[in-house]
Amino acid sequence: MPLPPIPPPSPVIFQATGLKKEFDDGRVAALQGVDFAISAGEFVALVGPSGSGKTTLLNMLGLLDAPSSGALVYRGEAMTGLPDPARYRAREVGFIFQSFHLLGTFTVIENVQIPMFGQGLSAKLRAARAAELLDSVGLSHRLHHLPVKLSGGERQRAAIARSLANRPGVLLADEPTGNLDSQNAAQVMELLARLQREHQTTLVLVTHDREVASHASRLLTMRDGKIISDSKAA
Amino acid sequence: MTFLTIIFRDLWRRPIRTALTMLGIAIGIAAVIALVGMASGYEKGIVKQLDVIGIDVIVSNMEGGLMPKAFEESIRNQIATLPDAAEVTTVLMQMLSVEDAPMIMVSGREWGGFTWEKLTVIEGRLPLDASERAVVLGTMAAEMLRKKVGDTVQIETEEFSVVGIVDGHSLVENGAIILALPLFQSASGYEGRVNFIDIRVPSDADGDRIEALCNKIEGSFPGLRAVRASEVVGTSQGFKIAKAMSWSTSILAIIVGVFGVMNTMLMTVFERTHEIGILLALGWKKRMIVGLILAEAAVMGVLGGIIGVLLGAATLAVLGTLPEVRGLLEPDLSQGLIFKAILIAVGVGIASGLYPAWRGSRLSPSVALQG
Repeated sequence: MPLPPIPPPSPVIFQATGLKKEFDDGRVAALQGVDFAISAGEFVALVGPSGSGKTTLLNMLGLLDAPSSGALVYRGEAMTGLPDPARYRAREVGFIFQSFHLLGTFTVIENVQIPMFGQGLSAKLRAARAAELLDSVGLSHRLHHLPVKLSGGERQRAAIARSLANRPGVLLADEPTGNLDSQNAAQVMELLARLQREHQTTLVLVTHDREVASHASRLLTMRDGKIISDSKAA
Repeated sequence: MTFLTIIFRDLWRRPIRTALTMLGIAIGIAAVIALVGMASGYEKGIVKQLDVIGIDVIVSNMEGGLMPKAFEESIRNQIATLPDAAEVTTVLMQMLSVEDAPMIMVSGREWGGFTWEKLTVIEGRLPLDASERAVVLGTMAAEMLRKKVGDTVQIETEEFSVVGIVDGHSLVENGAIILALPLFQSASGYEGRVNFIDIRVPSDADGDRIEALCNKIEGSFPGLRAVRASEVVGTSQGFKIAKAMSWSTSILAIIVGVFGVMNTMLMTVFERTHEIGILLALGWKKRMIVGLILAEAAVMGVLGGIIGVLLGAATLAVLGTLPEVRGLLEPDLSQGLIFKAILIAVGVGIASGLYPAWRGSRLSPSVALQG
């Protein structure tokens, strides 16, 4: 009887080798040689104390910042050589920030449409997709409210809907529950975990919070600009 | 939501600042409309006058401001002998302050010349001969001077009877005091001198023949200029100066507008550093950021331009009623001028937005997000 085929390993999404980042002409070393690989569909939590380099690393994965040295590869391509960083940020990754970063003069549904500009979608399609995404995060009753009228949890859910606007393969979340109370934080984490499972999205999440990190399948612990442990979550 | 929604939402964020910036542009554009409209109105008035009288060629001195310098009247007879100079008449025209009118055109015309032909007597009569110490007033001149037939009018130190009110069928003619040439020469101290020789050519004379006549006059009388009536406005030094002054003053006003918009757009970029960071993080291309800032500046230009045209039109309407202006020119607000003004306003907007847009697009997303 033939053996069942071995499932192929998930393709590597991010591969970092000797990644360094220095600020202030080298006086501050935010990253001091970081190596890791993240596979497609993984839910990775970057944990560690403040100043350990978590957000710097996340910014590099989102092409918001460039390494001072070392190599960072996305789907086999060096990220520093990507011809169109804006396209990468628009299509490949979705950002979720601690402070939500919703635009205050635009309604919730308009905020979700912002990343869709320049993607060749009609205004009608943008609005329909935004409404659908907001429905999926439970905000269909808040479409035309300004962010200021929303609770913290609702704002973060709107930001999550926005991060999914162009159906990215990777979500990058920087302390997504940092500004929320424990109840809202739990709801947001459940939502993120559900969306990650449903869409098989790669989720890289920065957090201080062990409870939040416990949702991840893998923990990368950082200290002083280095990864000091890489473990599967219990 | 469209790109336009984003532009207007951003502009509406600080309505007072946006409105004041647009007002800055509007004032510049209003200056263009008012000053250029006045210069153009003056030009049109002269063109209409020449057309009504039926002048084909005008001979005048090259020098002088709005009114050319006077020259010897005797040249008239020499020009009259030239082929194609079918009818020749002389005029001495000056802008003078007469009684209550701060500035009025006084036109001394060769007695019996064709420049008297198109005057329609509304009231009274024309002077009986060149020696009668009499004037006729254009309808508007009569209104400005508050004179009627039977009154007297003082030109420089001499007094003349008003014997008629005439319709000259053009603004310049209607705004003038008209009298026989020798009387005005004596009153103004220009005895034996004129500043225009007006010529009619035969009806079958084509452009080449008129050109030849002009060349002949200019060749024979150095210092004099002979131009076709249709070209007199374009070649006159006075008109050129008036036009240059009106445009240069307008350009100064526009430059002030440019810096106003640039200041606003720079402040907008500084204030919105964080927002630009968000847009960049969400995948907006730098050229979209540039486009957004330029479009906002251009929209302010268009709206400021429209307000400026309205302000300028109102200014022109007011200027047209001033005693210094009435009778001399009819302010002209042509479609071409409106189009030019709006185009300038958009140009001002875009030019002022270039540097702020460049600054905005140079922001690093990670730094801007912290801003």
